Amino acid sequence: MKQDFLTIALSKGTLLKPTVKLLEQAQLPVSGLSEDSRNMVFSYEEEGIKYLMCRPTDVPTYVEQGAADLGIVGKDVIVEQAKDVFEMVDLKYGYCRFVVAVPDSMKDRNLREFNYRRVASKFPLITEKFFRERGLQVDVIKLHGNVELAPLMGLADMIVDLVSTGRTLKENNLVELVKIMDSTTRLICNRVSYRIKHERIQPLIEKIQKIVKGGTGNEIA
Amino acid sequence: MRNRQIPKGLRDLLPDEVKVIRNMEKKAAQLFSSYAYEEVMTPTFEYLEVIEAGRGSRREDLFLFVDREGGILSLRPEVTGSIARMASIHLHDADFPRRLFYMANVFRHVQPQLAQYREFRQTGVELLGAEGIWADAEVINIAVKLLEIMGLKSFKISINQLPIFNSLLDESGLNSEDRSLVRQLVEEKDLVELYRLLEGLDIDDELKDTIAALPVLHGGLEVIKRIPYVEKNRKASAAVEELIKIYDALKLYGATSHIVVDMGVLRNLDYYTGLVFEGYSPDLGYGLLGGGRYDNLLGQFGLSCPATGFALHMDRLALVLPCREEERDHYLLGGGDFPSLIAQAEKLRKQGYIVEMDLGGHSQAELEKKIEGKENWTLIYLD
Repeated sequence: MKQDFLTIALSKGTLLKPTVKLLEQAQLPVSGLSEDSRNMVFSYEEEGIKYLMCRPTDVPTYVEQGAADLGIVGKDVIVEQAKDVFEMVDLKYGYCRFVVAVPDSMKDRNLREFNYRRVASKFPLITEKFFRERGLQVDVIKLHGNVELAPLMGLADMIVDLVSTGRTLKENNLVELVKIMDSTTRLICNRVSYRIKHERIQPLIEKIQKIVKGGTGNEIA
Repeated sequence: MRNRQIPKGLRDLLPDEVKVIRNMEKKAAQLFSSYAYEEVMTPTFEYLEVIEAGRGSRREDLFLFVDREGGILSLRPEVTGSIARMASIHLHDADFPRRLFYMANVFRHVQPQLAQYREFRQTGVELLGAEGIWADAEVINIAVKLLEIMGLKSFKISINQLPIFNSLLDESGLNSEDRSLVRQLVEEKDLVELYRLLEGLDIDDELKDTIAALPVLHGGLEVIKRIPYVEKNRKASAAVEELIKIYDALKLYGATSHIVVDMGVLRNLDYYTGLVFEGYSPDLGYGLLGGGRYDNLLGQFGLSCPATGFALHMDRLALVLPCREEERDHYLLGGGDFPSLIAQAEKLRKQGYIVEMDLGGHSQAELEKKIEGKENWTLIYLD
């Protein structure tokens, strides 16, 4: 946690474009800020701002440990990582939702009928918690990608995955059985930074809150 | 090779690291004693019932095992609960207030990473049997002085009065389910979800805004003026009055330069009953110390008695301390004339010096090379 700089961890990938736009609106420096560059750290001496280009799943870690003061990352990642960070602002963009999806042929079943079955997911924590809270038990099979493949190949009876439009599900003959939760992008903050660098962080948060409320071109992407 | 591994989250401390810890302990003990606090020791593990009556630690954070009589035991995750139990047995007819301090290893089943260890050292004070602002101010002042004498240059101690938040919540007329949801979101610091929940609740708008604003209110004493609804709630305004008085008392100690009022210090809402505080360094993303008033804890062990205290996470502090202090002068004795060498060594040790004997039969030149560049080392060579 460098005192003179405000360090912000950014998520690479689909969130980056709307994030850069938001930073620009909040009058933060963005010139040259892009993930195509080989740089992983972007420093703006004059403004005292530093950005870290991170994998989305790493953003909560950087923020929790204080390597970054602030972070911009999806709620889905925050929930799955279960890190101790302040969740300050709902930035509204990057909408997606966690769902339980099953093969077409099972579409009218009740969730309870899937007790003791196997579920494939990239998000074992959320999956386990969701079923457990409903008094159900499932075998969670952790996969790292292409989760839709698992029911097709008989590896699992259902999946828990992130869905934005639902197209991927449809292409793989899967249907949404239950929605677990909605997710949008959040501004998170390290618990110590929030106190030590309050004079810099609080005005920024208020500015961003105003931008999000005003809906200036930042609605659900 | 299993026999070269140690359990996850535990650490070996090498001489340089132990020096830092021992040095911290010495300074802390001196400071605590100067405020008339006396050291106590409690068992490393206790019955689970004792631990759970304490801070309400989550069970998955505890290291549990069973004794042969069938009792469920837990390694202590903190010391305050044990001290409360001890006080209820041994100190119930003592003269109060009693001032106690401790230094102890505690055990928590956390995910290991920087500043998160499964075994770490805590030191802390407990002021038992004293109510009121002067007791609170004494304990907070000790926390400030403690970080100061450790040599920490810039740090902050955030203070808050829990009754402000609690009495507003009580007044909201929310059912207990919504209330505990609000508390949970506040403790998890999920402000996004908190705002969403509040928006949908049927309570006074001004009260709603106040509850939503509290977790991010932060600054000097003036932030209190920014919580509009509080005046309407008698309990909350009494708590605010008290916070101001404690702040004034800290002025008398000359301790306010590190103090901030932070309505967001809302931790362990079921455990603490009054003033709470946390200490931070800008060099570490985790808190260094935390504490507050817990008037209901001792009652759980049958001794109804107000209490306040704090604990410092020594392993975290060690991560941010400036470099170590000067060591005492160090003598290296070598050569073949052992009668003279030993006599000389014993004499120097009595004078308080560190004396190291060469056991390898090295030559004078070799030993001179060994102490090269070490400022406070001296070689005595007698052949």
